[in-house]
Amino acid sequence: MAYRILIVDDSPAMRAFVRRVIDVSGFDASLCLEAANGREALDLLEKEWVDAILTDINMPAMDGEELLRRLAADEVLRSVPTIVISTDATSSRIERLLSLGARGYVTKPFAPEDLRAELERTLGEVHV
Amino acid sequence: MSDSLQLVLQQSVEDVLEKMFFIRSLGDAEEGPGLAEGEVAAHLAFDGEPSGSLTLRVTRAAARSISADFLGTEEEDLSPQQVGEVVCELANMICGSVLSRIESAVTFRLAQPELGEGGEREEPAGVSARHSVEIGGGNVTVAIRTESLTVQHSYAGAGTV
Repeated sequence: MAYRILIVDDSPAMRAFVRRVIDVSGFDASLCLEAANGREALDLLEKEWVDAILTDINMPAMDGEELLRRLAADEVLRSVPTIVISTDATSSRIERLLSLGARGYVTKPFAPEDLRAELERTLGEVHV
Repeated sequence: MSDSLQLVLQQSVEDVLEKMFFIRSLGDAEEGPGLAEGEVAAHLAFDGEPSGSLTLRVTRAAARSISADFLGTEEEDLSPQQVGEVVCELANMICGSVLSRIESAVTFRLAQPELGEGGEREEPAGVSARHSVEIGGGNVTVAIRTESLTVQHSYAGAGTV
């Protein structure tokens, strides 16, 4: 599946793990882009189009919540589906992030098939 | 130490190791509070309800083994920096998993994990729960210190930990 997916996480190890899960899920991981925080992600999105964004929440410089707000405020970027990957599974956090525009939420730890299912669901909604 | 927090910590350690590192614990291990020679440790503080800190210690051999599993690479290809990043990510995920299990509604915030080696990173005083498991290559020990809280989830029961 030739989707371009942006992985946003301040942990290089986590970015590598997510890229690996994307690869074994049947997506083309060589098309993935990476950013270490929300600021880097927005800079990258000024130059590159992506089909989906997978973002952490707790990051320096610009966290995932602020990234979601900036994406929602942008007429073009608000259409890019964003899935949050976070250790925080508290109901109040999940509700807030979904209200900010996140299309999906995957809680760490997750099994690779959980992320695959969420990606397929989210991309399927957009590309039907 | 609280039995309910101990159970939550045990479940979180085993869940994270199995789902994200594809590692099944070989059984519980006996570990004291001190950092032994040849161990790597990661420490992070957290704010919320409760606040506190978590320290994860892992033998160097086990750290390399779990890093290879996590990154899908060979141990000999790993840099010390990569191993450190994976150990920090492991501590981060276990801490988040514990706090999500004991807090159903209140948002928490995790600080960036900090790495230490060979005595640089001791467990905090007044540890609330500690769990050690044996995995290939050595042991993983996680200790958590929390301020008082009321456990809200059903499987741990109500109580102060």
